[in-house]
Amino acid sequence: MTHLRRYGTLIGFVGILLFFWWELPDTFLTQGNLLNISRQVSMLAVVAFVMTVVMAMGDFDLSVGSMASLAGVVAGVSFAAGYPIWVGVGAALLAGLAGGLFNGFLVSVLRILPFVATLGTLTVFSGLAFLASDGRTISGANIPDAFSQFARLRVEMLGLPMPSLTLLAIAVLVMVWVVLEQTPYGRRLYAIGGNMEAARLAGTRIVKLRLTAFAFTGVGAAIAGLMYASRVASANPTQGDGLMLDAIAAVFLGMTMSDEGEPRVLGTLVGVLILAVLDNGLSQMSVDSYVREILIGGIILMAVASGSLGGLRRR
Amino acid sequence: MTIRPILGALAIGLLATAATAQQRVAVITPYLAQPGTQFYIDGFEAAASPDWDINVIDTAGDIAAVISRIEDAVTQNVDAIVINVDPAQVSAGLQTAMEAGIPVVGMDAGMSDMLATNVTSNGYAMAAETSVYVANRLAGAGNVVMFVFDPFPPVQIRGAIADAVFANHPDINVIARVTPDVQDGGIADSRAQMEALLAANPEPGSINAVWAAWDQPALGALQAIEDAGRADEGIVIVGMDANPQAREAIAAGGNFEASMAQDFAGIGAAAADAVARLLAGETIAQPVIYVPTVLITTANVDE
Repeated sequence: MTHLRRYGTLIGFVGILLFFWWELPDTFLTQGNLLNISRQVSMLAVVAFVMTVVMAMGDFDLSVGSMASLAGVVAGVSFAAGYPIWVGVGAALLAGLAGGLFNGFLVSVLRILPFVATLGTLTVFSGLAFLASDGRTISGANIPDAFSQFARLRVEMLGLPMPSLTLLAIAVLVMVWVVLEQTPYGRRLYAIGGNMEAARLAGTRIVKLRLTAFAFTGVGAAIAGLMYASRVASANPTQGDGLMLDAIAAVFLGMTMSDEGEPRVLGTLVGVLILAVLDNGLSQMSVDSYVREILIGGIILMAVASGSLGGLRRR
Repeated sequence: MTIRPILGALAIGLLATAATAQQRVAVITPYLAQPGTQFYIDGFEAAASPDWDINVIDTAGDIAAVISRIEDAVTQNVDAIVINVDPAQVSAGLQTAMEAGIPVVGMDAGMSDMLATNVTSNGYAMAAETSVYVANRLAGAGNVVMFVFDPFPPVQIRGAIADAVFANHPDINVIARVTPDVQDGGIADSRAQMEALLAANPEPGSINAVWAAWDQPALGALQAIEDAGRADEGIVIVGMDANPQAREAIAAGGNFEASMAQDFAGIGAAAADAVARLLAGETIAQPVIYVPTVLITTANVDE
C-alpha cells in the first residue's frame, strides 16, 4: 500500500502517457511533440519549481502569477521607453527580487500568514502592472525583435533541437534541486516545514531563511514572466495570472510522490509534466476545452486522494 | 510573398492525399467566454461544411496557451486553423503553422503576412456611414464636435474618414476635435469635455452635431447635452459599435440617433467561407476580407 501511495502518481503519469500514445500513435510520442510540450510548459514549470521552495517551509506564495505579469510589463515598459534589452530584463528581475523580499518581510518579520500576505501582494502587484502599462497590451514595434526571438530559439544539444525556454526551465530545476536537496540551506527550509518551533529551538534563523526563500520565489516568478512575454512577444498586465493555481496544483501532485508528503522539486516536475501532457494530448484528441478543465481537476483530486487513502490504510 | 504559391501547392498536395478523410479545422481563441466571440463561433459553425470536424479550443484568456494549441493543431496536422487573437502576439505559433503549410484564417484578428486572410469589419466604411449620416442630417451645413482617438489605429482610421467627409462639405465646420481620456472607458471625460464645449457655445443652435468614433464619447456627450437642458436643440449625436447602452439611447428616440453594428455572426460565416476556399486549394489574394456593417437607427434598433 505504501508503494501504491508513493508511486501512484507516477504510475498514473505513465498510464496517461500510454493512453495518449495509444490514441495518437503518430503524433504524441514523437521527438517534435515532446519538445513542444517541454516548451509549452516551461513557464509554468519555472513558477512551480520556485513555488516548491516556499512550500518546503509549509508556506505559500499566491502572488507568483501577478508577479510574472508585473515582470513582463516592467520589461515591456522599459522596451517601449527605448531602453536596451538587458535593462528591461534587469529591471524585471529586480522587480521580482523586490516583490519577493517584500513578501518575505511580511511573512517572516511581520509574521502575517503567507496566505493573507501574498493574497495582499497579489493584488498590489496586479495593480502595479495595470498602472505601469495603463491597462494596455504592450506589443508590436515596442517589443524588440531579439527579445521575442529568444522564445523561438532552439539550441542543438545531445543531437536534439532543444527549445531555449526548455533549457531555461531545466536550469532553474537544477538550481532549485541543488538548493533544496544538496545544501544545509535547503535542509533548514524542510526543517521549518516539518516543525517551525523545533527548528527555532534548534537555532535555525527562521526570519532570514523565510525572507530569502520568498525572494527566491519572487525572482523565479519574474523569470517566468519574462519567458511568457518573450513567447507572446508582448506584455499585458494579466498574462501571467493563470500560472499561480496551476503551479500550486503541480506542487501538490508532486507531494503525493514523496515519503512524508513534503514538496520535492523532482515531484513537482512530474506534476508539471502531468498537467502539460494532459493539455497537449487532450487538445490533440479534440476534447472540448471545458471538459479538459474538468478532467484535469479530477485527476489532481484523484492523485491527492489516492495518496491520502494510502496513508489512511497505513494508519 | 513568394511563399504563398508554395503554400498553396503544399495545401493541394495535402488535400490530394486526404481527399476522402474528414477535414479537420481547429478554431482557437482566448476569448470564448466573451459574448462577441460566441457570435463569431456560432456564425462559423453554421456556415461550416458538414464534412468538417471542427474543434473549438478556448484558452481562457491565456495567449501563450493559444501558441501551444496552434502547435498541437500543427502536430495533429489539421487542415486549417482559425484564430481570434492579435496575430502579433501568437506569431511564434503562426510560424509553426506556416512551416507546416497549414493555412491560418484570422477571425477579426488583425492583419499579418502569416495569415491566409483576416475577416473583419471595415472601419473606413463604418466611419463613412456615420459621418455621411451627420452631413445629410445637417443638410450639409452646421457646426460639428468630433470625438476621436488617434493613438489606437483601428479608431484613428475612423477619425480620418470623418475628417475627409466633413472637409468635403464647405459649410460644415468642425469646431472641436476632442481626444477624450479613456482611462475610465471614455464616458466620464467625454461628458466633461462636452460640458465645457456647451458652456463655450451657449447660443442655441451653435452646436449642430456630435460625431464620435465609438459609442462611449457619444453617450458622454448625450449626458452633457441632456443635463445642460439643451436636448431640444436638435443636436444630432452618432456613435459607433452599437453597444447595448448606445442601442438603448437610440431606441429612446433622443439626440443619439445612429451607430454602426458589426455583424459578428457574419464575420464567423465569412471566415468559414475563407476556410472552404483555402481547403479547395484556392489562394486568397486579399489580406483582409470585409464583412458589411449595419447602420443602426430608431428604424432598426429593435431588430
